[in-house]
Amino acid sequence: MSAVAALITTAVRIGPRRFWIAVTGIALSVLLVLTIAAAFRSASLGVTAYIDQPGADLWVAPAGTDNLVRSSAILPASYADSLRAVAGVAAADPIVRAFVSVSTRHDGARRRFTMYGVGYRAPDGLGGPPALAEGRPPVGRREVAIDRSAARQSGVGLGDTIWVSGRAARIVGLTSGTNLVVTQFLFANLSTTNAATGYGGQASFIIVRVAPERDPRVLAREIAARFPDLTVLDRQSFLANSRREAGAGYLTLLALVDALGMGVSAVVVALLVHGLIEDHRTEFAILLALGAATAPLVRAVAWHGARLIGVSAVLGVALAFGLGALLDRVHPVIPVSFGARDVALLLAVLGGTGVAAAVVPVLRLRKIDPLDAFRP
Amino acid sequence: MTALSLVGVSKTRGAGAHAVRALHEVSLAIEPGEIVLLEGPSGAGKTTLLAVAAGLLTPEAGDTRVDEVSLASLSPAQRRRHRAQRIGFVFQRSNLLGGLTVRENVLLAAALGGLSRAAAARETDVLLTRLGLAPLADRSPRALSGGEEQRVAVARALAHSPALVLADEPTGSLDGASGLAVATALADTARCRGAAVLIATHDARLGPIGTRRVRITDGRLEAS
Repeated sequence: MSAVAALITTAVRIGPRRFWIAVTGIALSVLLVLTIAAAFRSASLGVTAYIDQPGADLWVAPAGTDNLVRSSAILPASYADSLRAVAGVAAADPIVRAFVSVSTRHDGARRRFTMYGVGYRAPDGLGGPPALAEGRPPVGRREVAIDRSAARQSGVGLGDTIWVSGRAARIVGLTSGTNLVVTQFLFANLSTTNAATGYGGQASFIIVRVAPERDPRVLAREIAARFPDLTVLDRQSFLANSRREAGAGYLTLLALVDALGMGVSAVVVALLVHGLIEDHRTEFAILLALGAATAPLVRAVAWHGARLIGVSAVLGVALAFGLGALLDRVHPVIPVSFGARDVALLLAVLGGTGVAAAVVPVLRLRKIDPLDAFRP
Repeated sequence: MTALSLVGVSKTRGAGAHAVRALHEVSLAIEPGEIVLLEGPSGAGKTTLLAVAAGLLTPEAGDTRVDEVSLASLSPAQRRRHRAQRIGFVFQRSNLLGGLTVRENVLLAAALGGLSRAAAARETDVLLTRLGLAPLADRSPRALSGGEEQRVAVARALAHSPALVLADEPTGSLDGASGLAVATALADTARCRGAAVLIATHDARLGPIGTRRVRITDGRLEAS
């Protein structure tokens, strides 16, 4: 930076109080945007991790059902036997999926909440936990594995007893990648969920593992042709449908809140740049009268705007990390985890909106009359 | 070599019913080292004349030359550069930049005038010392008295060794003693550095420091 540019930049800097008030406003917007994005991603990850687990090549459901998240139709579990007889099917297992009421006793206090229960042919059947953070899969009727964040939230752990629809069960496993934010997964033997839901002999889905030599899509078409009452979807299609449903309804709302957060940031940047120019109007006029070009003045304003955005972004990300750590302690089912890609994207959007918001105020700078310097 | 030459300069300010003939065929020449006092009542055209001399206003008629360069022949960017390099300003209020220190204010004018970092620093230190401002160099202008501020403004006006200094009521915001001291400092320092000075003023006490006085009334110039 030349001596002139450096001195001009110093001469028209933003006052510290105003700077930090603006930084706080923008940083809180950044925190809001990151938190919402992280929560949505976590919910989406929960759906993805469960469906995308090895062996779940095809998802068979009653006709018209095409996703895991929003469906309630059931089909006879005996379809699993029929499907096992189809050439190219390596394995076929039913799962029952239903919201179940769970209660815990912790330090003498009783807590009740709802979980996304999945009954499967434990411990080795298809459709079990996608990953175990601790412990093992459930085996007997009185065993369950539950999402680890839900366990922490409820103050229970391995070996503790919980009540699933009023029936006692021991926690033998803690699962990961199974937090949908609005609820969390609970895995149990089919007999346990059947008892809890009354779905005896029924299934929500039949999961099929396809023999290695067969193309899952081709086999899906063959099964669909042979069983016209069923919908057969390969993993990718089922995953896409479930992601769509996971975001339906509140994805638009989240996007709107995120957009509002960015909008607030842009307005704060615009206000501050506008204020910077108005507050330093006399200084700009003096500089122009002394022979300064407009370009270094614009660059000085841009530098202060960029500094504002940069500091705000760093503070906002730091706050998001802090909030994530805090929530992990006090409310672990609300994850605030994000990566470098999220931050880079946020910076790009914030920078873009900041530049857009500063255009009009900067154009006003070009209209400042150096003769103003002569006015007492 | 003439520092400032105005020949038949006319300028109208405002438009339509509000148009006022601020300068009417004004001619004036100032040689290097001259201190010219431009006197006249408020609204007579003093500031307009300074603005035309600075190239901040373009006259409808006549020729303005600063350091032998006709401003009309320059593009706006060239005129700005010429102003930065060949003209210094002292305004009625000091108009120092509050975000910079005393030293940085002077340094900025020197840098705008095209001096290298080293030369700008050297000139700044020389002027601050000459004007008794060296002990205040690192202070904010906000911490200075009115007289001190105007002395810094004088240093800023001369930092890039201009051919011409234009001063608009430089003592207008000061008491009598401070005003005279500032004007004297301006005149002495400018003369010493070979710069011509045109001072627009109401202040009759500045008479002794001028080498010449001219009077402007209703946009017309007359020798005093």
